Amino acid sequence: MSTQIPADLKYAKSHEWSRIVGDIATVGITDHAQHELTDIVFVEFPAVGSVVKAGEACAVVESVKTASDIYAPLSGEIVEVNKSVTDNPALVNTEPDTGGWFFKLKLSAPAEAAQLLSADQYRQQIGG
Amino acid sequence: MAKQIVEMLVETATMELPDVKTLHLKWPEGYDAEFKTGQFITVYWPHKQKYKRAYSLSSCALDRGFFDVTVKRDGKMGTSIVDWCEAGDKLFVIPPVGKFLPAFEPLGKHLICIAGGSGVTPFRGFVREATRRNLDTRITVLYTVRTTKDIIFNEEFRQLEKENPRFKFEVTCTRLAPEDPWTGRRGRITAEWVKSFIGDAASTVFYACGTNELVAATEHLVLEELKLAKEQMRTEKWG
Repeated sequence: MSTQIPADLKYAKSHEWSRIVGDIATVGITDHAQHELTDIVFVEFPAVGSVVKAGEACAVVESVKTASDIYAPLSGEIVEVNKSVTDNPALVNTEPDTGGWFFKLKLSAPAEAAQLLSADQYRQQIGG
Repeated sequence: MAKQIVEMLVETATMELPDVKTLHLKWPEGYDAEFKTGQFITVYWPHKQKYKRAYSLSSCALDRGFFDVTVKRDGKMGTSIVDWCEAGDKLFVIPPVGKFLPAFEPLGKHLICIAGGSGVTPFRGFVREATRRNLDTRITVLYTVRTTKDIIFNEEFRQLEKENPRFKFEVTCTRLAPEDPWTGRRGRITAEWVKSFIGDAASTVFYACGTNELVAATEHLVLEELKLAKEQMRTEKWG
């Protein structure tokens, strides 16, 4: 099965994607990550209003086989979380880089985005 | 018997380590499962039916009347089981499935089983079955843990080593204090260490159960370095 790696997203080595529009980044986990995790059964998001630093563990995703931390790819304030995913964690499997997003960050250091990987670089990392 | 989801009684709940517990799940009256050693079951609580977790069986297919799963305190399910689950509780169980099966046939294989942490649990089933059936299959478990306090089933594996001359249990510790009296191996699993256990590569089947990292490293060794066939490599991530 081929892995979706949309070209308009930026990627963290820890398998989170960011879609950056202005000073807001929408964050989720990659198709590769959801495939590795298998069926996702639970997600726990940071509280809206909390402030996270790039690289900080800020959410948890649990599949039928494992529980994993999710890291903030960028620094900022959590301004929204995806309640559809809380209600239906399987959305992360079916729509990893669209409807299965995790949270939105108001960026405090937008320049950090330069440290993230491009789609090609991420493809290389996962050996795709 | 049809594959049916049934509620099972937790007959015993045994702490193996401070963060690892084995549940002995009793089959209900009239239940009889067709399954193989190395498969996994999926469990959920009666009050949280949408929330499921899969665990490798730590018992084997010769064990009838119950399933054993050995659970690490990880995630909501692992935490609830290790912290709270006790004898008398009930869990729903989806019957065993999976392809992480020991290559007992044809006879004469050498199974090199590489495990990290709770990834060792299915290998207890492998060794139990091979020992009870007195198979000529050789099994070598190469097990990486942080310290000697993290070895799951240490006593049972040591006992099985005495009963079965074709079974070896080799442990390597990655985070022992230098002054620790452990005389066994220290450090991560390396390709050289694994290679030192291979006799006839053609009759060896490799198994890896543990983190993605451990599984990927084993796959690299078997498929890229040793250039063996894919059929000689079987993996189960996260155990």
